[in-house]
Amino acid sequence: MGPARRRWLTALLIPLALMLAVMTASVRAGATVSLPPKTPDELVSMMTHTPVRALSGTVQQTAGLGLPAVPTLGPGTVPGAAPALEFLTGTHTARVYVDGPAKARIQIMDALAERDLVVNQHQVWFYNSADNSATHVSGGTEPATPQEATPAPVPVPTPGTMANHFLTAIKADTRMTVGPSSTIAGRTAYRLDLAPGGADTLVDSVGIDVDSETGLPLAVEVKAKGQTDPAYTLAYTDLSLSAPDAGLFDFTPPQGASITEKALPAKPTPASSAVPPSPTGKLSHPNLTVTGQGWSAIVALPAGSVPSSITANPTYAQVMQPVPGGHALTTSLVNVLVLDDGRVFAGMVPLDRLQSAAAAQ
Amino acid sequence: MSRVERGRTKGSGDTAGSPEAGPNSGRASVAWPLLASELSVLFRRVRTWAMLAALAAVPVLIAVAVKLSSRPTAPGRGPLFLDRISQNGLFVAVTALVVCVPLFLPLTVGVVAGDTLAGEASIGTLRYLLLAPTGRTRLLLVKYAGAVAFCCAATATVAAAGALAGVVFFPVGPVTLLSGETVSVGEAAVRSLLIAAYATVSLIGLSAIGLLISTMTDVPVGAMAATIVLAVVSQVLDTLPQMDWLHPWLFSHHWVGFADLLRQPISWASFGDNLLLQGGYIAVCGALAYANFSNKDVLS
Amino acid sequence: MSGTWRDRSQQSGQSPHQDSVDLPDRWAIETQGLTKRFGGRIAVNGIDLAVPAGSVFGFLGPNGSGKTTTIRLLLGLASANSGDVRVLGKKMPAALASVLSDVGALVEGPGFYPFLTGADNLRRLDSADPLAPSETRKQRIHEALDQVGLSHAAKKKVRAYSLGMKQRLGLANALLRPRRLLVLDEPTNGLDPQGTREVRGLIRSLAAGGTTVFVSSHLLAEVEQMCTHVGVMSVGRLVAQGPLEELRSAGQSGVRVLTPDVDRAKNVLTRLGLVPQPWDGPSLAADAVLATGLDGREPETVVAALVADGVRVRGFSVESASLEDRFLSLTGEGFDVAG
Repeated sequence: MGPARRRWLTALLIPLALMLAVMTASVRAGATVSLPPKTPDELVSMMTHTPVRALSGTVQQTAGLGLPAVPTLGPGTVPGAAPALEFLTGTHTARVYVDGPAKARIQIMDALAERDLVVNQHQVWFYNSADNSATHVSGGTEPATPQEATPAPVPVPTPGTMANHFLTAIKADTRMTVGPSSTIAGRTAYRLDLAPGGADTLVDSVGIDVDSETGLPLAVEVKAKGQTDPAYTLAYTDLSLSAPDAGLFDFTPPQGASITEKALPAKPTPASSAVPPSPTGKLSHPNLTVTGQGWSAIVALPAGSVPSSITANPTYAQVMQPVPGGHALTTSLVNVLVLDDGRVFAGMVPLDRLQSAAAAQ
Repeated sequence: MSRVERGRTKGSGDTAGSPEAGPNSGRASVAWPLLASELSVLFRRVRTWAMLAALAAVPVLIAVAVKLSSRPTAPGRGPLFLDRISQNGLFVAVTALVVCVPLFLPLTVGVVAGDTLAGEASIGTLRYLLLAPTGRTRLLLVKYAGAVAFCCAATATVAAAGALAGVVFFPVGPVTLLSGETVSVGEAAVRSLLIAAYATVSLIGLSAIGLLISTMTDVPVGAMAATIVLAVVSQVLDTLPQMDWLHPWLFSHHWVGFADLLRQPISWASFGDNLLLQGGYIAVCGALAYANFSNKDVLS
Repeated sequence: MSGTWRDRSQQSGQSPHQDSVDLPDRWAIETQGLTKRFGGRIAVNGIDLAVPAGSVFGFLGPNGSGKTTTIRLLLGLASANSGDVRVLGKKMPAALASVLSDVGALVEGPGFYPFLTGADNLRRLDSADPLAPSETRKQRIHEALDQVGLSHAAKKKVRAYSLGMKQRLGLANALLRPRRLLVLDEPTNGLDPQGTREVRGLIRSLAAGGTTVFVSSHLLAEVEQMCTHVGVMSVGRLVAQGPLEELRSAGQSGVRVLTPDVDRAKNVLTRLGLVPQPWDGPSLAADAVLATGLDGREPETVVAALVADGVRVRGFSVESASLEDRFLSLTGEGFDVAG
């Protein structure tokens, strides 16, 4: 049966060749590339002096914080409450368009839906396709601090803003090393590893991939103590450094959409909840206080910060576990303590640190 | 009857070739009459028309239900865009495709793809096609082409019936995309066609799976059921977070990714990923189907 | 196994290329050591078939003797475990594509799309043949239907056909193009006596035109009426093949003696070398002796010896064995002689 065997061999070559192609592609993606050596300080300097002012790209965020995936989370559940938790699990993809310090747009690509944040000078629009609602924020004088090194002054979750949070807030008390270089979104990148000096934090290390050409952070990876897989990654999967189409930043709400008008300064736009709680204080809340420093900083919100509409949400009860005096969201990287009086404490520290901070107030 | 003179020259020397010099070598061009015959047989079956009619009924039912319903649908409830159908009929086609992609389309495609070879075997026409002689590889290719043609017809039916029902029952105007931008009726129609094309691409991998299963049995109902069950199992696995390592490899993984065609600008990433994934399934299942069918003893 | 007229030396040393082009093919079908196993069961057991070109070859055997499996192997529907097949001088299944256009076949009953008309079914199968000219398709379908007497039902859906009509349609499919070889598996199955006669007439007229016809049957009478050559299958083996007449004369002949002196007659016949047969059939009277093994002895010398020994011979006849007896002895099974 020579011909029969030969036919099977021919046929089996195709799956084999495909498997090889997939394997070489993944090996090549993870392969180290050789770049001229740089010191950690040089990399930090590259990042702070990046010439990139405009870009279009796709970022992918993966959170493996040890939280159970809650399938009811997603567009369509109570707006404002669920999305904050939603970004703590699973994978999310968003497209980012930035043109200079005053124009930015982020499109969070949900399954069969989309949430858009459009910033154009002093105009900020938030649009949610799931309920066809638009929020208009206007009247502010400064969209953000223009001296920011990252091209995105608005709190959109790009690797650039993430890297900046870590760099600006945690310069002290951190060991910086240079790791193996790699390729991210088709660009060669240096790896800057940050390791917290103290033992108080849940963070094991933070890795920042820095574009070898422009110094733009291409990916951020956060590892939690006692967990091999990264607890959180945010990386470009696709990046172009040319200026996006200007029309993208001119947003007109569609006919039939429910429009809410808000004036600055106001609460953070809903999209800012897309950024996991970080200890930088960048998410400026009027009554926010920060205690502690660097990795072990704790953010506190005064009583009444959490409206009952959120605590009444069934997903809230599903994710939060009851602790003495309130509820806690515990993850491998971040803990949030919500007390019954509405006070909130959050930080990349163990839960008992939050509780003692609460007791100290 | 007398021995008639043969006007054609015999392929001199081609018999000295290897045994693999199959019946179809060098005859790709003459697959057209068989393909035409295959399509005419497929589309002359009452069953095919019944399935297309059932698919066409989905958008019509959606349109009628929305039209008759007295209270407006709340945004975010029900399938995509259900709430906007009453304002803009162009959404009927998109909503119908959203509804049909998980089950109705795989169901009909499973019937056609599972029937390809097993159906011929069960009524005994397979041996006569092979004795005609149709080369086995040629027959396999033509059968697959027929199944793909049905995929196109099925999605086109849903889209066309949806467009028609939308125009008949509701006003038609500019369409709001997921990104909040509004586009003209013409561009909206183009996007609907793109979504239909996306759904077709989603189904061609399933067709290849059906073809492979169809080479393994002489019982068409078994091949159909197995294909449809696989489509359902693949979608169930895709929702289980415990199996997330498997998700990118499931043929149904990108099935609902056509939403990316409703963004501004269009995100082609999932279209490309879907095409690549379905292409992989076609290559693997096609190769296995070829090996299995070309070595198969046709005993039916 | 007989295969007396098989001249193996003639094929040895010939390349497939040579005898596929110019040489007039002596054999329309020939196989060597053709073997097919299904799991552990041997369906076809090393058969050496030789079907002379221009013959009407009856492929005879009881149901389940491996006839249809052999036909599947000949036509490339199934692949042999070992052995060689040549059809119209070309090696199968390598030359399948070029050979099968010249072969019309009816294998294990007709197979058609019930939802298409008879003519549409033929159109479908004809367009599956890449060598069939599409310009003459309509005409050829018309003629083939006419040939099998189905013109009146051409536009009827096959779902409405009787078994006999389907069988005729199957024959029409085999006759769609001028063929050098027809392989017909039980072509008269399901036909009424009238249809059976028509099919036999059709086969004879096709054979008269020079087409080789390989026809399998489990009916001895059918083969006897149509065929010039015959091959006999039994439990997967080809137990005999050759011209029908040769096989018929190879059968043993004997004598029948009517006499009251039964015992004495038996003694004389035994002395002469004949073998008296026990016979309890109703057709033989008590005073008759049947003996086989005449084997070329002159019947008159037997009569003379009987008379010389004082046997009162009242009647004497030479009996030649029927083909049925011959096959019975070859296969160890009875044949359905009806039909």
